[in-house]
Amino acid sequence: MRRLLLALAAVCLLAGARRAEAAVGCTLSNPARDLKFLYPAMTTYREEARQLDTMPGGKEMFEALKERIGSDLDPVYETYDTPYTLYTVYRGEEVIGIVHGVNVPGKGGVIQVFLSMDPKSAEIRQLVFQRLESPAARALKAEAFRKQFEGLTLADFYKHDYYRAADPQSDKDKVGRIASPVKGGEGSEDFAASVRGVRKNLILLDLFCYNRRHEPFFERAKEALAKVKAGEK
Amino acid sequence: MEPKRSTAPFVRLAFTAALLAWAAASHAGEKDPFEDLEKPKREGEGDPFEDIEAPKPPPEKPAPPKPKSWTDDLFGQNFTFKREIMLQTSYSDGELYNRHSVGFEVLKKWSTPTATVAAFNAQFRFVRRDNPIEVSNDGEGMEREGWYGEFHNFYLDLYNVFNPLMSDEAKGAHLGRFNFRIGRFYLPMGLNLQTDTHGTVLQLSNERNFGFERDWYAGFWGTLNPYLNYDLYYLLGSGYYPKFKGQSGMVGARVSLADSFNVDYGLQGGVALMAGERLSEMAVMRSPSVAMRADGDVVDTFRAGLDARYRRTVPTGWLTFTFEGTAGRDERDDVLTQLYEAEYLHRSRKVGVAAQFRRFWQDIGRDPMMPGMKRPDDVDSSVALDLTYYFRNDITQSNLHWVKLNIERQLQRQMGSPETVITLQYYRYW
Repeated sequence: MRRLLLALAAVCLLAGARRAEAAVGCTLSNPARDLKFLYPAMTTYREEARQLDTMPGGKEMFEALKERIGSDLDPVYETYDTPYTLYTVYRGEEVIGIVHGVNVPGKGGVIQVFLSMDPKSAEIRQLVFQRLESPAARALKAEAFRKQFEGLTLADFYKHDYYRAADPQSDKDKVGRIASPVKGGEGSEDFAASVRGVRKNLILLDLFCYNRRHEPFFERAKEALAKVKAGEK
Repeated sequence: MEPKRSTAPFVRLAFTAALLAWAAASHAGEKDPFEDLEKPKREGEGDPFEDIEAPKPPPEKPAPPKPKSWTDDLFGQNFTFKREIMLQTSYSDGELYNRHSVGFEVLKKWSTPTATVAAFNAQFRFVRRDNPIEVSNDGEGMEREGWYGEFHNFYLDLYNVFNPLMSDEAKGAHLGRFNFRIGRFYLPMGLNLQTDTHGTVLQLSNERNFGFERDWYAGFWGTLNPYLNYDLYYLLGSGYYPKFKGQSGMVGARVSLADSFNVDYGLQGGVALMAGERLSEMAVMRSPSVAMRADGDVVDTFRAGLDARYRRTVPTGWLTFTFEGTAGRDERDDVLTQLYEAEYLHRSRKVGVAAQFRRFWQDIGRDPMMPGMKRPDDVDSSVALDLTYYFRNDITQSNLHWVKLNIERQLQRQMGSPETVITLQYYRYW
């Protein structure tokens, strides 16, 4: 009887379990120290776990991510049930920053792309690679390369889709002007993977905490690109 | 003679200027598709996207949280529920051991409006064991034939516990330094605190070294400085159940490299000390001299440990090398333990191979034996090969699914004869 009860309890637990938000997503290795480095004036931080498959409208968000990232999602690193961790940084009671990380596959292994964001303007304050397994790691981690991302928003990435096709020389294409520190060299694919990681991170941040404020740019880029393609025909 | 002036450069210049002017005019005629989305450039003009472009900034002070039911509060946010299935069969010397389980893990974090302040983690398993034999990942299971409800991790972390006493400046200065842990978790010796061996067949040293790999404890952990972390605990020294049988318990301290070394160089490592009294029936059974001096199962214990792990990316995947070593004593017996492991994981994260050598030496032979009793040997050592095919191997370890074949060849035994143990394991954690 005891065995039966134990077995029943186990089955009930498994059957009744709701899929919960995982809190073990792409996390900072030492949140307190890493966040302090990014925001020296901070006093406290909050961690929030996000997982698309447990969020209301998660399926639609996942589809949106796929469409907006502009390339296939990796079946190991970028699944529907991949957990994410969002850090909100405070000075006293004031929100002074948001930090979020994603994993993307690179040529040499995993690339963990963390963005420290301005909570109001949704601009990148700082790009930080946590884990970067690449022959080009040194060049990609160099401040000169990472600095090129400061001030960019998701809108700049959507605009890049249009400018790349319609006017590659445009000085409005801020993303197109980002210079690869390893052009043609070993690990050059990891430059593209890193830029893709930044874009993916920004899309998720737009979904998670910026109330999709960059959607008009995505829609406009799509329309404009369609016109360019129609013109080419 | 005055050189003859040519008109050609002026003509070329004029032509170029005209071309540029035409190009500029025609470019100006093209409408930038994003122009009307850029609010700063179009201020004063009707912008159909203005309300989207300029959303209300977030409030300076977070709004007070809406009242929630206790269930929403507990399960609604930062609550993780993971399920686990493990099916394992081991074969050795004609004996077949089946160990099957279903389990779950909960992880909950609590936050105030401005800070995450606590986390709770618990792992449970309902296990069915038939004909248990000694295998590396189930030392505690030898006496648990049949059904058994087990807990593994069971602990509460309180983050930045002195914050209520600190000014904002002090909070910032000591962020991550004073975290408090109470409950049951891995011992602060070796790499176990940084390694999840919950589902693996290959284990680290602690279970064999102390008789348990987890213990009940309370103490502090956190950041010591930019390069080092610390763990400092009082441990009950009782292993699975929290119990007092006269032992004083142990103090455990570990200083380890900051996680940034792992991120930047693939390097983990630390030094650790554990001293005091623990309960260990196995240590008493193993050594006559320990049995003679121990107070029942209470064993006077001292260990100093050194550990390191190095992960290196290779063109087809990752190589990881692990070392754990401890020296010390059980009562008056000197003890020396070593563990070496090399592991390869293919880039696809689908296939893994690992090899491990472990050796536990204890200076058992100094005391006279009872007549007719065989003196135990000084060394337990074995070599193991582990092959894994992963169906899922999430980099964050939040989804794991594998089949594993593990072959362990025991080279020397303190008690009994060396055998070969073959284990086949199916594991899923999601």
